[in-house]
Amino acid sequence: MRNSWLIAIRELKERFSNGTFLWMMVLGPLCFLLFLFFLFKSGDEGKKSLTVLIADPAGLMDNKIVSSEGKNVNYYFIGDYLEIEEFRDGKAYQNFDALIEVNEKVLMNKKSFVFYRENPSADVKMQLKFQLERRVEEVMIENFTNLSVDQFRQIKQPLNVDFRNVYDPKNEASELEGYVGLVFGFLIVLFVLLFGMTILRSTTKEKSNRIVEVILASVKPYQLMLGKITGIGLAALIQIFVWTFFIAIGLIVFRQYIFPDMFDPSNWEGIQVSAEVQQQLMETNSAERYNQFVDLIYERINFGFMFAHFLFFFIAAYYFYGAFFSTIGSIAGTESDGQQFVLPIVIILGLSVYLGFLAVVVPDATIVKYASLIPFTAPVVMMVKLAQGLPIGSYYLVILSLLILVVSTIVLLWLAGKIYKNGILQFGHRAKLKNIIQGLKSK
Amino acid sequence: MLAITDVSKSFNRKLALDAVSLHVQKGEIYGLLGPNGAGKTTLIRIINQIIEANKGTLRFDGKLMSNEHLRLIGYLPEERGLYKSMGVLEQLVFLAQLRGMSKENAVKSANFWLEKFDIKDWSKKRIEELSKGMAQKVQFIAALVHEPDLLILDEPLSGFDPLNVELILNELKSLKSQGKTIILSTHNMRSVEEICDRAALIHHSKKLAEDSVWNLRAAQKSGEFSIRFSGNMIAFANALWTDFELIDKKELGDNRFLAVVKMRGNNQINDLLNALMGQIKIEAVEERIPTMQEVFMNLISGKEVENA
Repeated sequence: MRNSWLIAIRELKERFSNGTFLWMMVLGPLCFLLFLFFLFKSGDEGKKSLTVLIADPAGLMDNKIVSSEGKNVNYYFIGDYLEIEEFRDGKAYQNFDALIEVNEKVLMNKKSFVFYRENPSADVKMQLKFQLERRVEEVMIENFTNLSVDQFRQIKQPLNVDFRNVYDPKNEASELEGYVGLVFGFLIVLFVLLFGMTILRSTTKEKSNRIVEVILASVKPYQLMLGKITGIGLAALIQIFVWTFFIAIGLIVFRQYIFPDMFDPSNWEGIQVSAEVQQQLMETNSAERYNQFVDLIYERINFGFMFAHFLFFFIAAYYFYGAFFSTIGSIAGTESDGQQFVLPIVIILGLSVYLGFLAVVVPDATIVKYASLIPFTAPVVMMVKLAQGLPIGSYYLVILSLLILVVSTIVLLWLAGKIYKNGILQFGHRAKLKNIIQGLKSK
Repeated sequence: MLAITDVSKSFNRKLALDAVSLHVQKGEIYGLLGPNGAGKTTLIRIINQIIEANKGTLRFDGKLMSNEHLRLIGYLPEERGLYKSMGVLEQLVFLAQLRGMSKENAVKSANFWLEKFDIKDWSKKRIEELSKGMAQKVQFIAALVHEPDLLILDEPLSGFDPLNVELILNELKSLKSQGKTIILSTHNMRSVEEICDRAALIHHSKKLAEDSVWNLRAAQKSGEFSIRFSGNMIAFANALWTDFELIDKKELGDNRFLAVVKMRGNNQINDLLNALMGQIKIEAVEERIPTMQEVFMNLISGKEVENA
């Protein structure tokens, strides 16, 4: 074991002396944060506060829009028609950011135009649309019904028909959370593939520069294989921890400094409607405000729980697939020679991501149930299932999946060791399936 | 020190070693000879436990060989290889540690050898920054940095310039004087003659011969003597008459000659000298002992004829 550890440490040091590895350590999380930044920013684009002029020739609005105006939009009224060119070029209107046309037909055709100078943010657009709609609604209630505004709104409330799984009556699982699981699963696949290729490269490199013969005179082939997989795996784990650390810091910085108003309820104030309606508004608005990702990332995902399971599944999956990569490395003459054998692994990894996606959109599909237990696909599919939330009493499935994965990994490492032993000292040849069979047959 | 008994190994039904037995004694330099593909490297790999024999036993100091004995063996493979991006000292320490040495001792030993081979200044350099000869030295040090009792060197002199060949040969002699045992697999027959105590010849997976280098050479003696003399060549030839055969002659100038003569019947060197005395002036007489190169060629061609 001492020798395997020495080999592992050497591999780890070699990774750290590699510039690409170190760059990946910084650039990886940076790219990820940049992606998140744009994702968040997409909901925050455009002008954030507007001065709006409402052209209301019929006086329908009665020069008011809500009892107390929101801080983002200030409304002014003009009781006449206003040509768009005049608004655009007229000196008197240059301080207005937008013109809303509310003509007398609005009660019939329910159509209004907003002409803006600079595209407002989705948030402000939402607020403006909501407030205008509410005011027109009030006017219509007054003109066409004998009901009070609240009574009308009560009636108008749609019937909320909520479809729920009998095994998940609280609807804890959601598609969006499933996607987070898929991201975790995808990270497993990404790291397994990246560092699996490193195992392949490192093995063929040792063969081509012939150091392997000196090493094998000191350690058993399976010790070399295990040491190599472990060392490169340690580098992968460190990479993951560094990524996690930087991403966590990045998310905190986003919340505190870059998007400080993400969770500030005061942003939704200023609309004096009944509490029920305000709640409704806030619910609608919160989803639109910084799109669903903010809410998802900061509120709905239990990162501690997910990260712990991610680590278990990543380590098991890494050793599982690592056995394949080192086997290929040992039978291959050169790195490029080995790459032809990598294709089936890439296809299987791709399939596992697809099945993970299937688990998000059709969580109860039979194939998903099997895929969550088959070692090739379990890491991705199980991460999705974990993110969706497992029904009470079914956590044993996670344990079972992990157990199957670990046992298959041990068997696979044993078989890989046999092939490795047979292939590692064969030089200057092309990898053939025959080599694998010969290795398996050897004692 | 090392007793190899009836070791056989085959790869996919192709026999690489056929019941080979060797006995390497403590403190000797043992030459392992044979043409390419004879099975030497397979045997060396079996001793190093890189591959397993199908049959036969290996004993190290009387005990069946196990993993523990690997610490006592140093190995320089024919196909040289080091981690190119690793530093010289770091690499030597790593390899010594793999052979069971503590880090502290490994550093001490590596520094000692680097200094001895005059490459201490390069200890921080990566292998890829070194010249081929320098890297060869590092590889040689890697084989003995963990202070092994048995050193197995496969073509240790290849890639070295004549100056460094002398350095290595002297180092091998010095190691021998310290009681280390060395197995030397080489095609360099001059070095075998110069430093090997005993040698074995492997050909077509089988051991053809094993003995001391002197005995191997002596066994191939054909009763030929080279005689340097001054005088008349005709008188010399007449003196040989029918009891001796003139194999070769060379004129050295100034009426001096070098002749190669073979005994006939039961004649001995004294009979030859008696026959020649008074006819010519003898300057030197030497029995012709075949070189290891000739021994090698004779044994192999003899075997080929036998097989035919």
